[in-house]
Amino acid sequence: MATVESEVPEVPQSHVASGVRNRGVGTALRYKGREGMWTWLLHRATGLGVLLYLIIHVAETAMVIWSPGFYDEAVSMYKSPLFRFAELLIFFSVLFHALNGLRIIIQDFAPYVMPRQRQLAWAAALVAAVVMIPVTWIMVAPLLGLAEEPGAARHI
Amino acid sequence: MSTAETTVAARGEARRGGGYVQPKGGRGRFEVYSWFFMRISGLLLIFLALYHLAWWNLVIGVEHLDSQIVLERWSDPLWRAFNVALVTFAMLHGLNGARYSIEDYVRKPGAQKVVKAIVYTLVIASLLIGLFALLTFDPASFFANR
Repeated sequence: MATVESEVPEVPQSHVASGVRNRGVGTALRYKGREGMWTWLLHRATGLGVLLYLIIHVAETAMVIWSPGFYDEAVSMYKSPLFRFAELLIFFSVLFHALNGLRIIIQDFAPYVMPRQRQLAWAAALVAAVVMIPVTWIMVAPLLGLAEEPGAARHI
Repeated sequence: MSTAETTVAARGEARRGGGYVQPKGGRGRFEVYSWFFMRISGLLLIFLALYHLAWWNLVIGVEHLDSQIVLERWSDPLWRAFNVALVTFAMLHGLNGARYSIEDYVRKPGAQKVVKAIVYTLVIASLLIGLFALLTFDPASFFANR
C-alpha cells in the first residue's frame, strides 16, 4: 500500500461510494457479480419500496382511532382490482426481502456457508417465487370469480 | 478523491488506490450497533411482518377489512403489543436501511443532509402517529358509544 498519496494512480471519479466511474447496462448484465449482485440490488429495491409504502400505511391505519369512517373509505379503495394487484407486489417485496435477509443473517453468523453463497441466493429467490404461487391464487382468484374471498368461510 | 477535505458521511471516504478511509469518529461503534440492529430486528420482523401479511391478506382477506375488525383486534393487549413491536421495528429497520442507501447515492454532504432530513421526518412522524394510535386507543370508551 503506497504511503504517499501522489504515487497512487488517479481513480476515475464518480458519485458512487466506490469512486469508480459508472459502467453501461450491458456491462452490468455481464458483470461477474451475477446472482449475489442481483439479489443485493433487489434486496435494496424491495426494502426502499416497502419503506415508502409503510410510511403511508402506518399513518393511514392510525387514522382508524380518530375517524373510523375515513378509514373505512380509505380501505374500500384497496378492494379495487388495481390495488389488489399492487398489494401482491407488496407481499412479494416483503417476502423476498425477508427470505434474502434471512440468507444474509445466516451468512453473517455462520460464515462457513459462504462457499455456497450462490446456491443460497438462488434458494431464497426460489422459495419466494414458489410461496407467491398460492398467495397469488388466494389474493387474485376471487377477483376473477375463480374462488371465494379469503375469510369468507370464517364469518368473522 | 480530493485530499483537501472529507466530503462524506460516517461510512468513510473512498481512498485513492482502493479501500475506504476510517469513518469520521474512527473509533465510534455506531455502525457496528446498526449492523447488529439490522440483523436482530430483521429476524424479529421475519416473524412479525410475515404473520401480519398472512393474517390480513390470506386469512381475513382484504374484502373483510374495515375499522370494526381492526379496532376489535386492537382491543386485545396481546395484539396491541404485537403491532407496537411490528411498527417500531419495521420503521427503525427501514430507516436505517434508507440511511445506508442515502449515504451510498447522495454523496454531497449538503444534499445528503436535506434528503436525510426529509426521509427521517417522514418515517419518524409516521412511526409516532402509529404508536400514538396504538398506545392511546381506549377500547372501553370507544365501543361503549357504538
